[in-house]
Amino acid sequence: MASTFVESLVVGRVIGEVVDLFVPTVTMSVNYGAKHINNGCHVKPSMAVNPPALCISGNISDLYTLIMTDPDAPSPSEPRMREWIHWLVVNIPGGTDPFKGEEIVPYMPPQPPLGIHRYVFVLFQQEKRIEGMSPLASRANFNTRLFASQLELGLPVAAVYFNCQREPNNRRR
Amino acid sequence: MALTAFSSPVAALSPLSMSSLRAALPAAPSARIHFCRFSTPSQYPASRSIRSGRNTQKTLRSFSGLAPVYPIYSNFSENVTYENGFSAIDNGSRFFAMRHGKRVPKLNRPPDQRRALIRGLTTQLLKHGRIKTTRARASAIRKYVDKMITLAKDGSLHKRRQALGFIYEKQIVHALFAEVQDRYGERNGGYTRIIRTLPRRGDNAPMAYIELV
Repeated sequence: MASTFVESLVVGRVIGEVVDLFVPTVTMSVNYGAKHINNGCHVKPSMAVNPPALCISGNISDLYTLIMTDPDAPSPSEPRMREWIHWLVVNIPGGTDPFKGEEIVPYMPPQPPLGIHRYVFVLFQQEKRIEGMSPLASRANFNTRLFASQLELGLPVAAVYFNCQREPNNRRR
Repeated sequence: MALTAFSSPVAALSPLSMSSLRAALPAAPSARIHFCRFSTPSQYPASRSIRSGRNTQKTLRSFSGLAPVYPIYSNFSENVTYENGFSAIDNGSRFFAMRHGKRVPKLNRPPDQRRALIRGLTTQLLKHGRIKTTRARASAIRKYVDKMITLAKDGSLHKRRQALGFIYEKQIVHALFAEVQDRYGERNGGYTRIIRTLPRRGDNAPMAYIELV
């Protein structure tokens, strides 16, 4: 079961462009309203305006860090601003949701200007509490691997991604 | 036929050289065929050696058991036969009513529309980087996207003009030629990836994402 999950991450090139190969140890379920996020599912920007409801398994004593990035900014054919960070929350206690943690970068809903973008939720386990993080200068050109190595977070423990496309102004069929 | 076979060497008897005899022959290949038939009976020993020499030359060149009796071709290439009475077809003149072994995707469209659809899809894929279409269309345009990227990798003016003739928007061609070297310089082929997804709601068509690697 876990291997097929990781396989879909590899097929979607999340493992490789955003993070390295890892073994998921924590289950994370992401829900935008009523819609549960599976790897590669399609979400409309109008549904993703508010932050999702995230449930993390794990002990209450463990602390987790959540990153939501877009590796296809501004366009998948030319990802000059890879990655664009949408949400960064640290010090999330295990078994709860990100609202109990510290939001370093506030949630920004997906607004892909061109093409179909992937939006990745990555969860890291923290060894100790992270204090005194300064807000990031800009959301563009964020590097998840570099960030993880700076805070000594190691490999991620969970990841999921979905696709999002700009909705045309007039209603499609 | 017997008279035409023997009249020409008899008429040119005075200089009995090969070139003059060959010049006396009619230039059409019908003469060669006629000479083939009369190679074995050599009733005129005076010109037997010459005719046999000529006939061996002719038999080596034009003897073929499957050649038609009435040669109606004169300037066609050698590999066109008229067994079925059809004009030149490039699969060796074999015409089948079925589609066995033909791997061209038809996409349920006549050829002009099919070409336009493929051109449009490759243009959009090169523009957006990732598109969502049906699986059949995605696997049909792989070949053409790879061709366009190969043209861009070459980079010469001729290849640029060939790409401009295929892709609908010229900004995309210029952008592709500018950035393909650092993006796909080391990669040898396989510039796209297809990821299958859930079927479409309206008609349950199997969908796929196709993206540039």
